[in-house]
Amino acid sequence: MTSDRFSRQSFLGENSQPSIEQAVIGVVGLGGGGGHIVQQSAHVGFLHYRLFDRDSADTSNLNRLVTATEADAEAETLKTELARRRILSIRSEATVDVFPCRWQDNPENLRGCDVVVGCVDGFAERRELEIACRRYLIPLIDIGMDVHIVGDEPPRMGGQVILSMPGALCMTCLGFLNEASLAREANRYGDAGPRPQVVWPNGVLASTAVGLVVDLVTDWTRSMRGPVYLMYDGNSHTVTPHPRLVYHDGSPCTHFPVHQVGRPVFTNL
Amino acid sequence: MTVAIRFARSLFDRIRADLSRPHPFAAERIGFAYGDLVDAGTRLILMTAYEPVGDDDYIDDPMCGARIDSQAIRTAMQGVLNRRQGAFHVHMHRWPGQPFLSKTDAAEIPDIVTGLRRVGTTFANGILLLHDIECAGWVWLPGAESPVEADSVSVVGFPFHISRRVQE
Repeated sequence: MTSDRFSRQSFLGENSQPSIEQAVIGVVGLGGGGGHIVQQSAHVGFLHYRLFDRDSADTSNLNRLVTATEADAEAETLKTELARRRILSIRSEATVDVFPCRWQDNPENLRGCDVVVGCVDGFAERRELEIACRRYLIPLIDIGMDVHIVGDEPPRMGGQVILSMPGALCMTCLGFLNEASLAREANRYGDAGPRPQVVWPNGVLASTAVGLVVDLVTDWTRSMRGPVYLMYDGNSHTVTPHPRLVYHDGSPCTHFPVHQVGRPVFTNL
Repeated sequence: MTVAIRFARSLFDRIRADLSRPHPFAAERIGFAYGDLVDAGTRLILMTAYEPVGDDDYIDDPMCGARIDSQAIRTAMQGVLNRRQGAFHVHMHRWPGQPFLSKTDAAEIPDIVTGLRRVGTTFANGILLLHDIECAGWVWLPGAESPVEADSVSVVGFPFHISRRVQE
């Protein structure tokens, strides 16, 4: 049964399926992006999940939330429950720990994850999640999208997939997070109405992220040896490496020294 | 209960490089890695530092790959006190297959860990065994009478690698 089930992905390598099945994957944010993440992860065969989201489904989610139905929106079902239901409908033997709260309210369970996928809104939230993942030596894959309107031009849809690996370049090194973006967010997030989100970029970004997770835990491409910063252009429907990586001078991350791991403590000077 | 150990790739590679250095007479090298037990609940141990055993602190014993003297052990115990972290005896095997402790390892290294535990009663101490790309760990949690084998040892960086405990 198991060999049949995953026979089409046996090219990943002899030990890949056990590696996938033993990994603990954390997903923070179970909306448009996170819904795709958990669904695809279950198809790939991941068995251990820790899911964080305090929100419930509502009607405005139905344009993109692949785990939800109209009945769920009506019942305002928790997104963690929707994700658990979808995972278990695909892999009934999965262990799905759900935390219908902010991840910051239950950080111990985040720390135990082997890989975290962040599908959060906003730059400040991303920065907090990256700090936690760096502190506890967890690879973080961040996905997100936004829509901007400039003058009379058509709306510009963009997004990103970033692998923030402890010891390597962080989202600040990569120029994605900076004081200007954090300040801008404090004033306004996007231009095309509140939190513009549609299903197809969520799917593209989430699929790319799941591919990175699988590559991380199996090393099937034997090519993931450096930071990943992919840029999504929703108008041209392309995902390309961000030019920032091309021009990076190779200097290490200065924002998260790799020896600064674990809980922050006072030390004797 | 699961026990997980994590290294940054840079630290892990430094340990491997150090343990790969030839010694004037010992066939293997030994060091001590230091780390923090982050949560008693999740039992996650983050390794943060490494100190090799000095060349002069080996005993010439052709009956085993490497044997260290009391000075090396006292240095590691002092490291526990100074750093306020647990310490792990680290060495490397070059045998094929999954990492496992030799009879000599299993008989003698726990006595070294006993010394580390005496000065670091509230920390996790233990043994780490490197092996090709894999790594295995045996952990004495605070207050525990016997060790548990770590369920996973992760090397976080590029390349990323998780060694899993072999299910019996």
